[in-house]
Amino acid sequence: MEDRTDGRNANQLRPLGCSRNILNRAHGSARWSQGNTIVLAAVYGPKSGTKKGENPEKASFEVIWKPKTGQIGKQEREYEMILKRTLQSICLVNVHPNTTTSVIVQVVGDDGSLLPCAINASCAALVDAGIPMKHLAVSISCGLMEEGSIILDLTKSEEEKLKAFAYLVFPNSPLSVIDKVHSSKEEPIEHGIITSVSYGAMPVSGYFDCLERGRAASAAISEFLRRSLQKQSSDDASRAAQ
Amino acid sequence: MEQRWANTSRLTINEKQFIEEALRSEIRVDGRRLYDYRRLTIKFGRYRCLPRATILSCKCYHLRFSLFCCNCREDGSSEVQLGETHVMAFVTGQLLQPYRDRPNEGTLAIFTEFSPMADPSFEPGRPGEAAIELGRVIDRGLRESRAVDMESLCVVAGKSVWAIRVDLHIIDNGGNLIDAANIAALAALSTFRRPECSVGGDDNQEIIVHDPEVRDPIPLTIHHFPIAVTFAFFHEGNTLVIDPHYKEEAVSGVRMTVTVNSNGDVCAIQKAGGEGILSGDVMRCLRIASLKASEMTTKIKEAVETYNAEVALKKVKRHPSLIAQKITVPDVEMKEASFQKTKELSADMENSPNQTSTSLTTTKDKDTNASIGRPLNWDPYSSSAPAIVSSSTLPELVGTSKDANEDQMMQTDEEYDPNLKKDQIASATGVSSGIHKQNSPPKSLKDAVKPKHKRKKNAERGAR
Repeated sequence: MEDRTDGRNANQLRPLGCSRNILNRAHGSARWSQGNTIVLAAVYGPKSGTKKGENPEKASFEVIWKPKTGQIGKQEREYEMILKRTLQSICLVNVHPNTTTSVIVQVVGDDGSLLPCAINASCAALVDAGIPMKHLAVSISCGLMEEGSIILDLTKSEEEKLKAFAYLVFPNSPLSVIDKVHSSKEEPIEHGIITSVSYGAMPVSGYFDCLERGRAASAAISEFLRRSLQKQSSDDASRAAQ
Repeated sequence: MEQRWANTSRLTINEKQFIEEALRSEIRVDGRRLYDYRRLTIKFGRYRCLPRATILSCKCYHLRFSLFCCNCREDGSSEVQLGETHVMAFVTGQLLQPYRDRPNEGTLAIFTEFSPMADPSFEPGRPGEAAIELGRVIDRGLRESRAVDMESLCVVAGKSVWAIRVDLHIIDNGGNLIDAANIAALAALSTFRRPECSVGGDDNQEIIVHDPEVRDPIPLTIHHFPIAVTFAFFHEGNTLVIDPHYKEEAVSGVRMTVTVNSNGDVCAIQKAGGEGILSGDVMRCLRIASLKASEMTTKIKEAVETYNAEVALKKVKRHPSLIAQKITVPDVEMKEASFQKTKELSADMENSPNQTSTSLTTTKDKDTNASIGRPLNWDPYSSSAPAIVSSSTLPELVGTSKDANEDQMMQTDEEYDPNLKKDQIASATGVSSGIHKQNSPPKSLKDAVKPKHKRKKNAERGAR
């Protein structure tokens, strides 16, 4: 197996960093870094009214993606759409009907795996804002090498060289006080997949390998996310009131 | 729906009255004095990735040059926090055609983004009045006052010059965005490095942009630092404050921004609308501003100096690691030597701070995790142990390893232990090469240590 440019092996992730509550005005904010890819996400809590095409019986989300430099183009619009659909599926949309929650994503550094980093950051920011969610979402990028091996957490140079790679978003199993009484035959929640964006052509077996590997890695990321969210207790009162 | 959100930045009548009354007794919302700035923190981008160069052929001018992607290097990005206000600046450079009327000058363009995350009333899309005003004030202060030398950015007169682009992102609006954004732009421009390029080739028309790994990139020439100082007036111009908070801004009817440099030159004055101010008050503001400007200039310059020193340190340490990696050592002897060395080192981990840098190496080797907990029988004559590291590099590693610890508190990753910690520290401080020197080719360094080690061990045994 050839070495990766930064010395990691195939299953190694870049160092993760997560800090919450970094902005004063925003209701929820988080900064997520995976190596040199750093994303800042801010959430403004539910405000009344929905946009024209949205369902007023549910809460709707509005995502604004801000690139580091340059104009906003199609790539940014695509990321906004993917992020919006992902967040809509993890949040409880029936709790606050006819409201709009804004999520603003600012790219601080881009070294590959930008969309997974943004999804993780947005998830942490939503938790910081106190938006009701079903479970957390963790995201990972998986690349398929020529000989069929999988590498995780791609850098920008790897993304450009690889023939095919995918961004995957998995749910995080919710911790519950109530013991699980249902039978063990039922598939655990982590086996589901929320979002998958693939680039390039890959064989079906390769894609399923990516899923397996990504799912295993997402367990580690979700552990890290949960721990970092638990550490910082939210001591301030609701900032939406200020 | 949007109107409700825009109204959140309006204050209640009670708040307005409170702020105004308190200012009569010279008391401010956050407890500052009238002419005090809030706490200023300047951070620079520390992430690095390998630069890429692509060959682009441009037929119309018979120029062939490689376009270098500048946006991933550590140069030219800053993050400024002035109290609650948070601004990020990114500087990038590109080779473009100059303007027709100035064929031998580079160009500087400032783009301002009022991100909706800064304030609930900021809308995405077209920039509002405040955003345009901010962009113009900073532009006048930096560009029109000739703070940045444009003529040094010319490569081929009339054909190709460096176009510098400054992107300002307002992340958090705590008031006084102009001052904070100005500082961010200055800090980013001071640390921006453009790749060196020379004209050559067959017909002396080709521009070759050198890889920054090959030739050091060049900083911009900044003649002076124009500092913007914003004043807010209350009580019909009788009370004035510096660096207004966003609540004070909402209460005051009049604001004035003065851009001066430490030489006492006035670069720009901006007073757009509002009540009239006496000319005597304007002169007073200018005097106060020049004092503040010299303070601010020293702060910015100190921060830039510290950052440049860090970067220079990184460059010095790079070369040894590149050479050392090529040496390979047989495994069997190495393990024993490393085991003994790390036991000795762990004995002194608490004793001397010098060992903090080498203690990082102990966490890297997989077999040391067992050795740290065991009882240590070695006589700690380990002043000889750090002989691997030359005395000049040790104190520097001490300073930066402390930074690593502080940064590690922010990063809570505990998975994928040994190798990941190395990367974590590496990315946190950016002193990757210094620690790499001890970790990634441990074989070579231990190979150097081995003979000394055995000699000492034998000497001690002989002494007993």
